[in-house]
Amino acid sequence: MRESDRPNRREILKAGGLLLGAGSAGRAAAADPKPEPPSGCVGLPDSWRAMRKFDAHNHVFEPVQEPDADWSRAEALLEAAEAMGIEKLCCSKPITGGKMVGIEEVRAANDSILAAMRRYPDRIAGYCFVQPGNGPVALDEIERCLDAGMIGVKLYNQFKYSDPIVFPVAERCVERRIPMLGHSGHVTDARTRAAQPRISDSLDFCALASRYPELMLILGHVNGGGDWEWAIKGLRDCPSVYVDTSGSVLEDDTIGMCVRELGVERILFATDMTVEGCVGKILSADLTAEQREAIFWRNLQKILDRRPS
Amino acid sequence: MLIDVNAHLGHYPFRRLRHRTAAELIALMDANGIDRAVVSSLHAVFYRDAHRGNEELYEETKRYGSRFIPVATVNPKYVGWRRDLDEAVERWGMKGVALVPEHHGYALDDELGRAALARIAELGLPVVLTQRFEDRRQRHHWDVAEDLEVKTLLKIAGEHPNLKFLLSNWIGLDGAALAKAGLKGRCLIDFARLHVMYLKDVPRLIETLGVEAIAFGSHMPFDYVGPSLVKLANLERLPAADLEKIAWRNAAEFFHIDV
Repeated sequence: MRESDRPNRREILKAGGLLLGAGSAGRAAAADPKPEPPSGCVGLPDSWRAMRKFDAHNHVFEPVQEPDADWSRAEALLEAAEAMGIEKLCCSKPITGGKMVGIEEVRAANDSILAAMRRYPDRIAGYCFVQPGNGPVALDEIERCLDAGMIGVKLYNQFKYSDPIVFPVAERCVERRIPMLGHSGHVTDARTRAAQPRISDSLDFCALASRYPELMLILGHVNGGGDWEWAIKGLRDCPSVYVDTSGSVLEDDTIGMCVRELGVERILFATDMTVEGCVGKILSADLTAEQREAIFWRNLQKILDRRPS
Repeated sequence: MLIDVNAHLGHYPFRRLRHRTAAELIALMDANGIDRAVVSSLHAVFYRDAHRGNEELYEETKRYGSRFIPVATVNPKYVGWRRDLDEAVERWGMKGVALVPEHHGYALDDELGRAALARIAELGLPVVLTQRFEDRRQRHHWDVAEDLEVKTLLKIAGEHPNLKFLLSNWIGLDGAALAKAGLKGRCLIDFARLHVMYLKDVPRLIETLGVEAIAFGSHMPFDYVGPSLVKLANLERLPAADLEKIAWRNAAEFFHIDV
């Protein structure tokens, strides 16, 4: 790209052009020669943006189901996904903070995901968030969400997954052959433990998986805060549990340890909003092209293919 | 040219790092196209006498010439720190000074912290402040260090108006607040924990502090380098001169390095 062809810094920032987003990158690439890559790009595989990717763990937290909703944050997510080559974003809107709410609030949360699915039908898939403590209406909510096209169930930290109160939800996931994605963390600092007293760690996942070995259970964000080495080691004897790679912690060798201890077929690429970092982790990991492809999308596709047509 | 302003050498007591020695870090840099790295000693964080870590850093990095830009780590609580600092700067040519108050047991705004910051300013060197080495949610029970706080940073920025700050591995920085505290033009922020796209921390900081405030940083060997390479790639649509500043020129000017 010639210097005179480049937009100036203010134009780029104002227009969000840094985001390379939503088709704009493709248009720019068609119009201009590709800019000379900085030398750092030698550390990234060729054509990394074009590698197919499904994000198994993301969110739309804004109440976009409401009239005159502000879609800017969701649009920014889609723009980033476009630039990163993320074809599908599997999103949920959990009730955070460890609180239990009524089913109406749960439905409203899921309605926002359904609205996002309608707006971006080719890009956003939905997990149905439920609180097992809501009882049978939680199961009704799962049915409502699946009927509307969602692909799985998301649990947060209202209950540990080893708690029998979770069993009916797990059984429904088995019956419907859908994945269950669970918030997780082996948190070792007192502040986080106090804030999330019922957060599940990998042993809770294992307990549930041993009771329901046919359940497609995903340990969410192995790098989402917490001792990730503990988390991975705790899953070694639970071969039916998958792990997603998302989270804001970008520590070296996380992916390598997942591969060594769990096997590549149990690893699902995800970002949980750390879009660039989590793509970069997979690109930096010592993986073959086939392993990277399995993690980036094939493993999740296999899970989704197990659902009834 | 690519300069990484967020790198460390040595063992970390609470987790095995794969790239601990200078030779291993050079191999990692080569694999990722990183020409030079601003590096400090992790041993200096944990030894009682931090200066022994500086000695090791000097000895280990000198054979690699300009590939490493070593910075000293000073513990103002330890006897003789001023003489140690002078040695690191005058004899070994170290280009900056890292302070780790949470690990060495003082505060940046107490008497010891103020003395250290004042001396670093007198020497005309930047202070290197790493907000955290690891996420506290995974901490070992012996690791009691808290993250450095933005409010403390803003306070000391006002107290030391001639001091330059390398803010390494930070999040939660409000560019307007930093500018109000007088940091515009005298701070350099690496984007190891920041977002270029989606959450847009980096574009917001550029808006308020200028592109001169941003530098490439990876937090190696704690973190994968790929995330920061992806962020750099996502900045490619900036004007070439700005991209060059972020990739290396800002770091070179900040540390007065000939490139």
